[in-house]
Amino acid sequence: MEHSEVQARVKKVISKVLKIDEANIADDANFIFDLGADSLQSVELVAAFEEEFQIEMEEDKALEVQTVSDAAKFISQYLK
Amino acid sequence: MSNLSPEKFENLQKIFYPQSIAIIGANKVKGTVPSDILFNILKAEFKGVVYPVNPREKHLASIKTYKYAIDIEDPVDLAVLVFPSSVMHMALEQCGQKGIKGAIIISAGFKEVGGQGIEREEQIKEIAKKYGINFIGPNCLGVINTDPNVLLNASFARKMPEEGKIAFISQSGALCTAVLDYAQAKHIGFSKFVSIGNKADISEIDLLYYLKDDPKTKVILLYLEEISDGIGLMEAAKTVIRESGKPILAIKSGRTEAGASAAASHTGSLAGSDEICDAAFKQAGIIRCDNIEEMFNKAIAFTYQPMPKDKRIAIITNAGGPGVLTTDKSIQQGLTLAKFSDTTTEILKKSLPKTANIKNPVDVIGDARADRYSVAVSSILKDENVDGAFIILTPQSMTEIESIALEISHLAGQFDKPIYTSFMGEADVKAGIDILQRNKIPHYILPESMPIAFSSVYRFKKMIEEKPEEVIKLNDKNSEKAKSILDKASSDGRKYLPEEEAVKVLEAYNFPLLKSTLVNSEEEAAKESEKLGYPVVMKIISDDIVHKFDVGGVILNIKSKEEAKESFNKIISNVKKNMPDAKIKGVFIRQMIPPGEEVILGMKRDITFGPVIMFGLGGLFVEIYKDVSFRVAPLDMKSVDKLISETKASAILSGARGLKPRDINSIKNCIIRLSQLAVHCPEIKELDINPLIVLEEGKGSFVADTKIMLH
Repeated sequence: MEHSEVQARVKKVISKVLKIDEANIADDANFIFDLGADSLQSVELVAAFEEEFQIEMEEDKALEVQTVSDAAKFISQYLK
Repeated sequence: MSNLSPEKFENLQKIFYPQSIAIIGANKVKGTVPSDILFNILKAEFKGVVYPVNPREKHLASIKTYKYAIDIEDPVDLAVLVFPSSVMHMALEQCGQKGIKGAIIISAGFKEVGGQGIEREEQIKEIAKKYGINFIGPNCLGVINTDPNVLLNASFARKMPEEGKIAFISQSGALCTAVLDYAQAKHIGFSKFVSIGNKADISEIDLLYYLKDDPKTKVILLYLEEISDGIGLMEAAKTVIRESGKPILAIKSGRTEAGASAAASHTGSLAGSDEICDAAFKQAGIIRCDNIEEMFNKAIAFTYQPMPKDKRIAIITNAGGPGVLTTDKSIQQGLTLAKFSDTTTEILKKSLPKTANIKNPVDVIGDARADRYSVAVSSILKDENVDGAFIILTPQSMTEIESIALEISHLAGQFDKPIYTSFMGEADVKAGIDILQRNKIPHYILPESMPIAFSSVYRFKKMIEEKPEEVIKLNDKNSEKAKSILDKASSDGRKYLPEEEAVKVLEAYNFPLLKSTLVNSEEEAAKESEKLGYPVVMKIISDDIVHKFDVGGVILNIKSKEEAKESFNKIISNVKKNMPDAKIKGVFIRQMIPPGEEVILGMKRDITFGPVIMFGLGGLFVEIYKDVSFRVAPLDMKSVDKLISETKASAILSGARGLKPRDINSIKNCIIRLSQLAVHCPEIKELDINPLIVLEEGKGSFVADTKIMLH
């Protein structure tokens, strides 16, 4: 899967979980600081990414990921 | 640091007296810290403007909410940060860009969690430094300022306390909430309430300097778990007490921490971190308390009532037993029972029933009503021979508990003398206690707590009346010579100075030493002994032997040439038998000291407080008797006096039970020399002079044995 496609789908998931317009999600936006996710929503995001991409991620490491582009990179590792 | 820099003071003013606050990371999830902080600030009716900051919310609690701190149009004095630690650096960076200079970082997840948390703490410290921000926290409960001009509750404590004159600084956030609850029940108010958390930037030292000049604060309370800068804390406390006369009461937890039990010197073994902390607090004038109750018992005495002129107290009670208990405790605390003037005695005689005791402690008898208490209290407080009163009440069926409490509250304001009360019991006396507490009359559940609090206030008053003394400096020392010996040993990688070298270090500082020499054969031993003059002492010298007595390496009272030869051979054979691997450097011969009292002088370099001087009863059983006391170097004469007078040895030296008084001045002289040596030579880790033999008054003292350990 192309990186741009992963990134687009990541944004779609974030938009759904955090209820933010996709257009307002920048590539380097921080989930907490820029998008206002709280700890519960961070867990929800991890679960939603797993569902979207049909993968299973290491939760501790997944929760350390903080930005949209880092999430896309992190998820890409599981898609290879 | 002798005081706060103007920038830090300004920033602390912004933390305690902000006109506008940004709550960064506030949210709408009730019952969470980010939400409670916002609501607590609003509930306390903060007198300035509040700007919630949250990237997802348009409004919180009906207040316009900003995405970032930099979006706020108006200037902001204080940022309260409740974001998770992972993004704290970004939030603080924006505070810096916005020009915010004061911050409170509530969030946890920093140094206290280790690993990445340590890096995060360093990161926020750097950002704060870059923008000139001063912050409290992280990992803290927050800050409260009850001043009606600001009404700030930037904390997640459940309630805003009453306004009062006590400032409370705590390293434990959880303890803060417990203290607030405890204080509320007793109507104890606060001026400032600060949870310092990890104290990554603002520490208790900064706050002490700040509170020194805070007109709303009369008494400062500290709860500390660890002290990172002991010397700084002592300096700050001394400055606060000297310049403002405000007492500092402190609880330092971790009292039972094991001392350095495996230390090679007696001093190292006796000077545990708690003993040193105790000594340092005393020296700085900090009143150390064991628990919260003791701290508040003393704090209310300091806050509510004037300081006594002297220590002559009167006890007024309606029950004999508690009067006796209070008398006993008063005497034990060093107070005296006032002797009433004839006028007072006459008034008491006329106004009280015949069965009443009109002498101190005054017993107004079990059936006393408010009028009897009133006449007794007012006539006694008018008496010039009385410096303060303890009023005790036990609830009999006819006791007018509330009226008596009101009468006492009314009388307390009329005299410039302290009044403490103890309404004994719980259920029946509750309403009376409540009246006393609301009227700021110190009340104690146990009557014995009154003399304890009174004597604490009295001792503090005496202390602030004393003039501060200069550290004593002697100029007859040769510190270069001592340094060169120590440097050589350090560069050789040695951790311990053999006695002949240790003696040379002491010699350079002009300690009283006896003539001595090192020999390597029985002939030499005999010849040198003749030269020194009998009697002499011989000791083994070896880097491998610390406790010479234990290996048979010491022989005393050698009186002739023959004995000298014999002793030399005996020491060598004892050592070869008991420690066959020890490398022997020779045998040390020294004049025998005339009999005298054995004391110990010691020094240990403490990681928090620096060089600590120890004094006590000396000899073989130092660690069994543990009759020692400590002070942090450098010492002034007052500290030297106290160092000696705190020990039981002091009475022996002064001539107890018909003994001739010993030369205490020569001990003081040695202590001053040791204090200077400790300050000048940081290479020395521990030092024992044990024993120092003290002769009769005017005849001096002599160092009989010494050990020096290096880092």
